[in-house]
Amino acid sequence: MSDTPDITTEEILTSQGIEDAIAVLAAEIVSRCGDQNLAFVGVYTRGVTLARRVADVLAAKGKDCSVGTLDISLYRDDFDNRGRDLPKLNSSNVPFELEGTRVILFDEVIFTGRTVRAALDALADYGRPSKIELAVLIDRGHREIPVQPDYIGRKLETELCQYVKVRFLEDDKKEGVFLVTEK
Amino acid sequence: MSDLTPRKDLLDIASLSLEEIEYIFENAAPFKQLFQRSVKKVPTLRGKTVLNLFYEPSTRTSSSFEVAASRMSADVTNFTVSSSSIVKGESLLDTIETLQAMKSDYIVIRHAAAGVPGLVAKHTRASVVNAGDGYHAHPTQALLDSMTLREVYPDYEGRKVVIVGDILHSRVARSTATLFNKLGIEVGVLGPGSLVPEGRHDFMKRFDSWEDVFDWRPDAVYLLRVQLERQEGQFFPSIAEYHKMYGMHSERIEKMRQLGAYLMHPGPVNRGVEITDEAMGYEKSLINTQVENGIAVRMAVLHWLKPETDKD
Amino acid sequence: MRLFKNGSIVSEDSPEPKRGDVLVDEKGIIQQVAETIEGADGTRTVDCSGCVLVPGMFDLNVHSREPGFEHKETLASCAEAAIHGGVTGLVLMPDMAPPVDSGNLVKSLQDLVSEVSPISMYVSGCLTKQRRGEELAGFSGMASRGAVMLTDADHEVPCPDLLRRCMEYAKDFDLLVTTHGDTPALTKAGAINEGAVSYRLGLPGIPAISQEIALERDMRVAQHTGARLHLQQVSTANGVKSIASAKEEGINVTCEVSPYHLLLTEEDVEDYNTHFKLDPPLRRQSDCDALVQGLIDGTIDAIASNHAPHTEFEKSSDFATAPFGVSGLETTVLAIFDHFISREVFGWDLFIKKYSADPRRIVKLEPVKIATGEKSQFFVFDPNGMTTISRDYLKTKSPVSPFLGKTLKGEIRETVV
Repeated sequence: MSDTPDITTEEILTSQGIEDAIAVLAAEIVSRCGDQNLAFVGVYTRGVTLARRVADVLAAKGKDCSVGTLDISLYRDDFDNRGRDLPKLNSSNVPFELEGTRVILFDEVIFTGRTVRAALDALADYGRPSKIELAVLIDRGHREIPVQPDYIGRKLETELCQYVKVRFLEDDKKEGVFLVTEK
Repeated sequence: MSDLTPRKDLLDIASLSLEEIEYIFENAAPFKQLFQRSVKKVPTLRGKTVLNLFYEPSTRTSSSFEVAASRMSADVTNFTVSSSSIVKGESLLDTIETLQAMKSDYIVIRHAAAGVPGLVAKHTRASVVNAGDGYHAHPTQALLDSMTLREVYPDYEGRKVVIVGDILHSRVARSTATLFNKLGIEVGVLGPGSLVPEGRHDFMKRFDSWEDVFDWRPDAVYLLRVQLERQEGQFFPSIAEYHKMYGMHSERIEKMRQLGAYLMHPGPVNRGVEITDEAMGYEKSLINTQVENGIAVRMAVLHWLKPETDKD
Repeated sequence: MRLFKNGSIVSEDSPEPKRGDVLVDEKGIIQQVAETIEGADGTRTVDCSGCVLVPGMFDLNVHSREPGFEHKETLASCAEAAIHGGVTGLVLMPDMAPPVDSGNLVKSLQDLVSEVSPISMYVSGCLTKQRRGEELAGFSGMASRGAVMLTDADHEVPCPDLLRRCMEYAKDFDLLVTTHGDTPALTKAGAINEGAVSYRLGLPGIPAISQEIALERDMRVAQHTGARLHLQQVSTANGVKSIASAKEEGINVTCEVSPYHLLLTEEDVEDYNTHFKLDPPLRRQSDCDALVQGLIDGTIDAIASNHAPHTEFEKSSDFATAPFGVSGLETTVLAIFDHFISREVFGWDLFIKKYSADPRRIVKLEPVKIATGEKSQFFVFDPNGMTTISRDYLKTKSPVSPFLGKTLKGEIRETVV
């Protein structure tokens, strides 16, 4: 992640910062959901990690929460624009009854909102939860569709030419949130 | 990931890289998992058109592609040319022109003449999937066969499969054997000399009898469909004799059971010819799994191929 | 008067080209051949420095398609292609519509030829009526009109008894019987040599024995009847072996090979390229080697292109459906030069013998020579030139050739007829 004259990288959250943000998410979820029948669904790849981390925090507080996974590749609205990178599919796994369950969808960053739209479509094909909410680690703004997160770890002012990289040890062998600016 | 770029067409197995094969398998599994849902459909190919162009009747393959395409929300047009009005070579080019004008995104084609899918692919911007051409290739069959075998043998390398029957006229044998070989699976063949050609792939070990086959301890036996119309060609004296020499019956099933070998068949099965009713009930038969995997593999293939667009 | 100056003359008699200038008069008669000739006034001089002057070739196996299939080729385009390829005489196969199976049809074809062709095109007639293999065609009428051979072209006379009667009858007229060597029951719907490649491509194969059995049969019938037999388009090593032993036995047989079977193999049929779909099919490398050897040791008497034009559209269908045959008149000299002469596998002398002199002898014609008093039939060939076989290059109506798009060594500068 070395900078070049055209690309600058700024660390927004350290691993400690991520931990704190996750704690904020966990606390907020507990306070709002109480004892309701609750399940998490993470959007591949890092949304899954985020969901698991939050679930771990809740588990430590004695609240067990199952985590499902969702690959939204097949629901994307930009299939025609796939370039040279071929999408590798992951198996979605929603191992619990959605009917009557309050589901919290996890994604690491919310940007245009299109991923969330795809995730909502995908989730609908698994069943009809009593309620669906959205939790994100970072909200970087610039929505293109009317979708807003219910739980936010950290809000970030960004420019369109920037992008936010979330790195988790489990997925990336390093930890941190970075704001990358391309000039 | 370096060699993995989108392809326009799937015409044969020989030209696939191991990386591409692996990619298709990796994607087929998530597709297969969709079948567990009550909603088996995904919106991936919404608004896209898949043309099923069958110059040879094949309800199974054509339906499998149709189901695969429908489950990806594509619109499917079935276009079957009856065998009684065999289309002459001349008009094939005209047909291609017509297809081009129909602006299909994907063309699934089966034809009695080898090389036709390649010819169509050259003349159209649609992605072409070969669903069987002459004795040449049937790549999605090979992919579904290998997927099925890999599911029961995650340690598939070095496993042994015997293909039984009409190798000479079988595109299934060619494609499936080629793919098995690419994956490091050993391939043997059993069949009458008149149907096991000399010019076959040299990696295919030839057996003369079931005794020899069982001595080799195969992990799976792949029965090919006997083309009953081949009888005219007098490739073997009678159906009864074929069954006696090469068919799968209870006695041989017992031997299979002892070996723990799986049974495969591309379908449709000729009961009483290559396999008896009792043998059909064999607990290690993968025939139905092959059908299910066929849909998943075909979805993965449609997902993988990229038609040319106006932007290209 | 035209003076071809500073070139060398090649012939069947000498492996080395000989320096020679050639003076040709307005009537196309060679006035003088000498080491140096000085051009008189009014003489157009053609500088042939670095070039060889080659006697005009003679192709024993040409399908003109006219009359009947003028969309594929006409006698005029065929003649143009021949001249462009250094061929100054040829034998027309009788498989037109209608097939040439009577004296009248021989005559009318000869009349057509004389109207349009600047070169000699000899007419062959059918062995059986309509080439159907059922009853004898009108031998005596065809013989009296000057048919130079009888053949059903690529149709085999299926019944050995009928073939025997053909040969017995042809012998009375001293007519050459020509067969193509095919066993339909083995060939069936085959499209390519049967073997590893047919297996790989999934195409129905034509086994080598399909031709080998037919050659054997035809030669035995020729032996039995004492007729003169010519075998077209030998394609396998075993075929060469059979012919060699038949010749040893004294059977009156000659045979030809195509340039394609000398230098291309089944492996060239990559990607279902129908420009490599020939009858008989391209075989294996070992067959090519045996054919080249047979050509050199004399077992094979002639090279013949089997010029068989089809439209590009006809050839653009799938491999199994596409018709057999490619055009050959314009590429034979170049291909043989590129593959054999320039690589010193054999020399001009052998090539001229096999594609100019002996083919004429087979149909009882005098070989052409570059010599004083002879009619001029030769071409100017630049061994240092290069020729790209493009659609524009080809004069035939059928730009269908395995060499299409390829560049071959050598260049035919001009054919003098």
